[in-house]
Amino acid sequence: MAKKNFIAYIGWFLQYFILAIFIIISIGPFIWVVMSSFKTSNEILSSAFSLPSHFNFDGYVKAVTISPILKFYGNSIIIAVSGTFLNVLFVGMASYVLARFNFKFRNALIVVLSVSLFLPMTALMQPIYMIIKQMGILDTRMGLILVYTALGLPTTLFVMRSFFSALPMIEESAYIDGAGFLRTYFQIVMPIAIPGFATCAVLQFLLCWNDFLFALVLTTRESIRTLPLALNYFTSQFSYDYTAKFAAIVIVIIPSIAFYVVLNEQVVSGLTAGSVKE
Amino acid sequence: MVGRKGFWIAVFLIPTILIFIVIYTIPVLTVFFTSFYRWKNFEPMQFIGINNYINILTGDEDFRVSFTNTFKWLLLQSTVHVFIGTMIAIFLSHKIRGWKFIRTAYFLPNVISSAALGMLFLNIYNPQYGILNSFIRLLGFKDFSQNWFFDDKTAFFAVTTCWLFYAGYIVLLILAQIMTLPESIHEAAIVDGATQLQYDIFVVVPLIKNIIGTSTLFAATSMLTTFDMIYLTTNGGPMNVTLNLPLYIYHTAMIGFDTGYANTAATILIILGIFIVISINKIFKLNSTIY
Repeated sequence: MAKKNFIAYIGWFLQYFILAIFIIISIGPFIWVVMSSFKTSNEILSSAFSLPSHFNFDGYVKAVTISPILKFYGNSIIIAVSGTFLNVLFVGMASYVLARFNFKFRNALIVVLSVSLFLPMTALMQPIYMIIKQMGILDTRMGLILVYTALGLPTTLFVMRSFFSALPMIEESAYIDGAGFLRTYFQIVMPIAIPGFATCAVLQFLLCWNDFLFALVLTTRESIRTLPLALNYFTSQFSYDYTAKFAAIVIVIIPSIAFYVVLNEQVVSGLTAGSVKE
Repeated sequence: MVGRKGFWIAVFLIPTILIFIVIYTIPVLTVFFTSFYRWKNFEPMQFIGINNYINILTGDEDFRVSFTNTFKWLLLQSTVHVFIGTMIAIFLSHKIRGWKFIRTAYFLPNVISSAALGMLFLNIYNPQYGILNSFIRLLGFKDFSQNWFFDDKTAFFAVTTCWLFYAGYIVLLILAQIMTLPESIHEAAIVDGATQLQYDIFVVVPLIKNIIGTSTLFAATSMLTTFDMIYLTTNGGPMNVTLNLPLYIYHTAMIGFDTGYANTAATILIILGIFIVISINKIFKLNSTIY
């Protein structure tokens, strides 16, 4: 019995040890970057682990003045909010119809739309560039919004379709009360489905906010570029200004982290929705 | 009523179908059909049959390297990465103190943009002030200076570490699945004399096989779209040791303007994706595909 206890003890110790290592490699870099963003360039070069001698916000001031990071911030907000709204609105409507009505080609349509989930979108960058150019919305916010609305299509479709499928038959009584199709959806079904929409909106927002590839390919004008591209700016032009570079990284990651910490439950339920079977 | 209903069903479907056609269907068809054409520098297209495929598969060293790297990363991600995620999820399922905090903290690298994560690592591996070198110097190797990202011996390793250990989303998936297992199974196993380790390996793992399969699918396919982290760190270099297919396509199409040829690589990438999805479904017998 004593031997078994000893082994169990070693097991618990190992478990904590492994977890500690993974926690260090996950949040250590963040702590280091935040710490470094308050140091002077000399302090950064001379000792990587020391605390800043005093909190100076020079890095942040410089990051904001030498790069168009604030402009990029505004663009990111406009594009992510619009991309999220349109995605959830349109794909929500389609999911509702696909979940609750029977019509010709319904299953075929579900299969075709679902294929998009495992399509490597990086393979499509050139034709998407070409189409956006043909439509005359290359280098505009509209172009990015359209592409982002589409990128989240498979996820939103899947989450909302299973959400709508699980609802009881509420439409019948609405129809009897004289509500039409449109009113039934927007005034009765949609409010009930808010938890599902919230989940999708969070995932879709993060997708829009974090995308780099399409922002790089579809925009060139600084006045419309998004936040992840601000980082690109710091690798090329200001690679010697360490404090500003660290400050820029902090400015870019803070919203994602804040968003995640506040909406933790939505993110978790969104990512597990559908894949986990009861 | 039926006619009106049909009308509204169509109205509800049309925006999504239009978006799908514009951003998915037309691009996939374009990629496939233009891969049979010479289409360079905006000159008129010229049909050349399967010549692009012959060139890319036989004489293109860059393509060979990027395909091999993509495949290596894909294998690492669907084994090591999934193993780490599964292990941590099982640890957390013991409801140890602070498990919720650990779950949240471990997910942080997954929630920020991969561009920002790439930039973070660019600084961690910086030869002068990066924490890795500083740490090694602290251990006593005073003159240690390794340029991790730009030395062809270490670049592949350095890039791999940008994502290999961060299996936060796999932890979320697997942990959520373990929590649906009834407590009675655990009690029965312990009454029968099983240790916690035996219970985890012989009872839990077989019960969560499906979600491990799903995780593997996500992990593997994510390697087909990895772009930002490499672009912002090594950009495929040095000497192409970190080139992958998305980066190869980007360089060929958006910088080299060799569109037909780039779309040949893109077609191969899509086929690789289909192959991966089918194989992982077969291996894990994910009979009821999730999507």
